[in-house]
Amino acid sequence: MKKIVTILAIITSILAIIIAVLPVSNLAIFPAIAALVFGLGAFYLSKKSGQVKKIIQFTFLLTIIALAVTTYKAIFNTTELGNTDTLIKKEAELKEEAIEELEELEELDLEELEIEDIVIEE
Amino acid sequence: MKHLKILLFLLFSTTLIGQNNAIAAGEKLTYTASYNMSGILTDLAQVTMETSAVKTSKAALLRLKCTAATYSKWDNFFKIRDLYESYVNPKTLTPYLYNRNINEGSYFKKMKYSYSHKTKTVKSVQTKKNNYVENKNVSISAGTKDIVSTLYMLRVFNYASMSKGQSKSFNILFDRKELKGQITYLGKETIATAIGDKICYKLAIGSNQTNVLQGKNNNFLWLTADENKIPVYGKFKIPVGNGELKIKSATGLKN
Repeated sequence: MKKIVTILAIITSILAIIIAVLPVSNLAIFPAIAALVFGLGAFYLSKKSGQVKKIIQFTFLLTIIALAVTTYKAIFNTTELGNTDTLIKKEAELKEEAIEELEELEELDLEELEIEDIVIEE
Repeated sequence: MKHLKILLFLLFSTTLIGQNNAIAAGEKLTYTASYNMSGILTDLAQVTMETSAVKTSKAALLRLKCTAATYSKWDNFFKIRDLYESYVNPKTLTPYLYNRNINEGSYFKKMKYSYSHKTKTVKSVQTKKNNYVENKNVSISAGTKDIVSTLYMLRVFNYASMSKGQSKSFNILFDRKELKGQITYLGKETIATAIGDKICYKLAIGSNQTNVLQGKNNNFLWLTADENKIPVYGKFKIPVGNGELKIKSATGLKN
């Protein structure tokens, strides 16, 4: 039991660190909470048997680092839009192409068009 | 014959005429698309919906443009630069030309529809990576629209005259396939948004294609209960968690 809880604490704390450095850092809170719970469980069980292993303290350290990184990113990182130059260029190109294409469309006579009916299903 | 009678009855008894009193050229709506997992929000991308006037020698059209671009923190992992546009009749929102240009990570696809409403056909041109071009003619039903003009068409419906639970269905042409979409009016709700507290029409959105929108009552859209009927909030069910679309700013509104 002690071994399983310790392994789970290690896995979840590593997962928390990995998620904390990714753009989804906010989600690191879930594995971090799990790591704290398993870490405390492992600490309690180890203390009962008389010897607390260093690895359990290490999981606490990892979890605290993960939470610190997550908090820092949540407070100081602002979401800003990346480079959209290619998109703006593409928009202009498509508009030019579209106008050329619309000029060729024979059907484009707005006077003929009727307002469409919309069916309502009760 | 019986089905035809029912259809005619439905057409004549409960038909509403959609007329555009909500959308004008020069409107710009900006949204933040986020992922919500148990209340923890992660911003993914910025979505904009813009309208502009386009003049040809034959007519003046309305260009409806939707773009999606991931935030810079995502660009190294999964960069999205998507563009959807539709050239429509300003009064009826009938589309004439549709362009879709998607650039997602290493995936690229371009799609163009040229509508012929008289023959009820759409000439489509699909371009994929390495300039692989595929032409296809698709038959459509009367009133079938692309995804962009459908999105704007939702703002033309008269929700004030609808009763709670009442539905409207429409056809959408997506990926050269005709899908049946449906919205159900769920009543009015006041929600807090970045542009202030708004009284909204709450709509449930569904589709006959289960892989497009999951379930019938898992996807909701809130439109302001005023003349503009702008979408201010959207909530969409995805396999783990929810996708959300929240308005950031709205400029150039018609009313």
